[in-house]
Amino acid sequence: MTLRSKSLFAADPHIQSRKRADARFKLYGLAAILAGLALLAVLLGTVIGNGLGAFQQSYLTLEVELLESKLDKNGNRDIEEIKKVTTFGYDPLLTAAAERLIETQNIQTDLRAKDIAKLLSKSAVSDLRDFVVADTSRIGRTVSFDFLVNARVDGYLKGRVTRESIADDKMISAEQLDAVDQLVAAGALVKRFNLDFILGSDASDQRPEAAGIGTAMLGSLAMMLVVLVLTLPVGVSASIYLEEFAPKNRLTDLIEVNISNLAAVPSIVFGILGLAVFINILHLPMSAPLVGGLVLSLMTLPTIIISSRAAMKSVPPSIRDAALGVGASRMQAVFHHVLPLAAPGILTGTIIGLAQALGETAPLLLIGMVGFIASTTPETMGDALLAPNSALPAQIFEWAKRADPAFYERAWGGIIVLLVFLVAMNAVAILLRRRFERRW
Amino acid sequence: MSASKISARACNVFYGDTHAIKGVNVDIGSKSVTAFIGPSGCGKSTFLRCLNRMNDTIDTCRVEGTITLDGENIYDPRVDPVTLRARVGMVFQKPNPFPKSIFDNVAYGPKIHGMAKSKSDLRDIVENALRRAAIWDEVKDRLDAPGTGLSGGQQQRLCIARAIATQPEVLLMDEPCSALDPIATFQIEELIDDLAKNISVVIVTHSMQQAARVSQKTAFFHLGELVEFGDTDDIFTNPSDPRTESYITGRIG
Repeated sequence: MTLRSKSLFAADPHIQSRKRADARFKLYGLAAILAGLALLAVLLGTVIGNGLGAFQQSYLTLEVELLESKLDKNGNRDIEEIKKVTTFGYDPLLTAAAERLIETQNIQTDLRAKDIAKLLSKSAVSDLRDFVVADTSRIGRTVSFDFLVNARVDGYLKGRVTRESIADDKMISAEQLDAVDQLVAAGALVKRFNLDFILGSDASDQRPEAAGIGTAMLGSLAMMLVVLVLTLPVGVSASIYLEEFAPKNRLTDLIEVNISNLAAVPSIVFGILGLAVFINILHLPMSAPLVGGLVLSLMTLPTIIISSRAAMKSVPPSIRDAALGVGASRMQAVFHHVLPLAAPGILTGTIIGLAQALGETAPLLLIGMVGFIASTTPETMGDALLAPNSALPAQIFEWAKRADPAFYERAWGGIIVLLVFLVAMNAVAILLRRRFERRW
Repeated sequence: MSASKISARACNVFYGDTHAIKGVNVDIGSKSVTAFIGPSGCGKSTFLRCLNRMNDTIDTCRVEGTITLDGENIYDPRVDPVTLRARVGMVFQKPNPFPKSIFDNVAYGPKIHGMAKSKSDLRDIVENALRRAAIWDEVKDRLDAPGTGLSGGQQQRLCIARAIATQPEVLLMDEPCSALDPIATFQIEELIDDLAKNISVVIVTHSMQQAARVSQKTAFFHLGELVEFGDTDDIFTNPSDPRTESYITGRIG
């Protein structure tokens, strides 16, 4: 009693030290959050700074005369005959176009037209050939065509390649860069938004400028579809049974513990399992998104079961009592009352599980979805599931390990696409939770 | 004793190793109110939940002895607890309306039991139940409003309406007024009086005044045993067991 001072205003040393401890604790928390935010800012800054370049590409506009004498010698527009002309047959057209460019734009250079044509991407000829094969009536006309330039020139425009850095480079010379400068000044060589990065397919080592992430994105989408279709019904049914119907005994305890353990198993283990079971025993195709989806489903199931059970557990027991009390069967109580109330939690858990699966690379290594997979945009659902494909994170990994720095830039660009996907999925999760959340 | 609706004989209830109800014999009359009183943890709620097999949902709970409804053993393996609960309704301690509209709350029971042939039938059943629960006038203009938005007393009357919508023969009430203010309590008690004209009501209560006001018969439970069972007037004025006397005079419990 005597320890306590009489006045409420009197400063008590004990209270003072308690207050200081409070203030210190607040400060630690604030510091931790600020450090986290700073790291996040650095991460986002780096990703955006390095990756934004991938969304832009440099193009050189050439007037190409599609000579009938080269492309369709008989002049009968027979598509089979036109297809017989290989990309080598188109090379002279590009050289001629480059020559015309030097004349019309008045480019001062000692280089031959052939060397100017080398500024173009290695995919330029096949792009032109595709353009002609798509519509043979173009033969004989002169068309204006935007060609991708090669990664060195593109890098020069983006500041990645400098005159110093190409001193020992066999791919490009200082004279070529002089010509590039003049072409840019003339407006023939421009850098603009590149939709093909978002929609296109991966390209070989030699053509980083033509590589896109679209096909890998479709691979990821196909896998997510498989994961959703398999895990949502199986996971929700399993958790309903375990939470609402299963007797509490040793066996169900064991199952519960093991589900929690499965959620912590390294994902590469699921990859090995997928290789052993789905590919070696069941002989499903290698590198197929279907197999990737199956493997990721195994990995995602525990997450979905755990979050669904938590969501059902958080529905107050009084709701079950109320339903049973008016004579509902246990199944009616679950499906009419518990499940609708648990739905936001279940959906959120499912989307978080999907997002986790979307970012997973390790299990895909073992089933052949990581590496250069010469794929084209799948045309049918069957193709999307069974044709060899990559996935977003696998594609990023593949680009990051290639030698050309132009691929490095694309890896960062891929990370931006992946992050946009993840943010979108989390936003959907939040929206669903807000939309369906009901109070009781 | 021919008028008894529910009879329990040598009823024992165990929660795992805990012996919660010890050899209870009791007869609950039809069209009357029976009150269960006793200190907390004496087993009165447990026993109440045995009467419509709500204890089935608790894994560790085991019931011995017989409990009959109109002479039929409700623990017979042939009995479906769902049909039993349609005939023996229940109102819980805490108002627990479904997070749905007022209408859907009341209509749920009749719907799952297929009691309404048409939409207008269902509307009549809902209106009738809400009228009998003395809440119709307060909610008739907002049947689409969520049941959880009502006040505590209204929610409890809604729960009573929900319970009587399936036209049960017995209504079990587990401390229905413990979360309510005196005005709401008064309304519920009037309602119980009214209901007892047609069905038998069993009410668990902590308030001895309430037991005295609403019930015709009172059972006093202590430590899992049924100490005394008889006319309410006798229990409160002339208890035969000293434990009953101690409890109603406030010395134990």
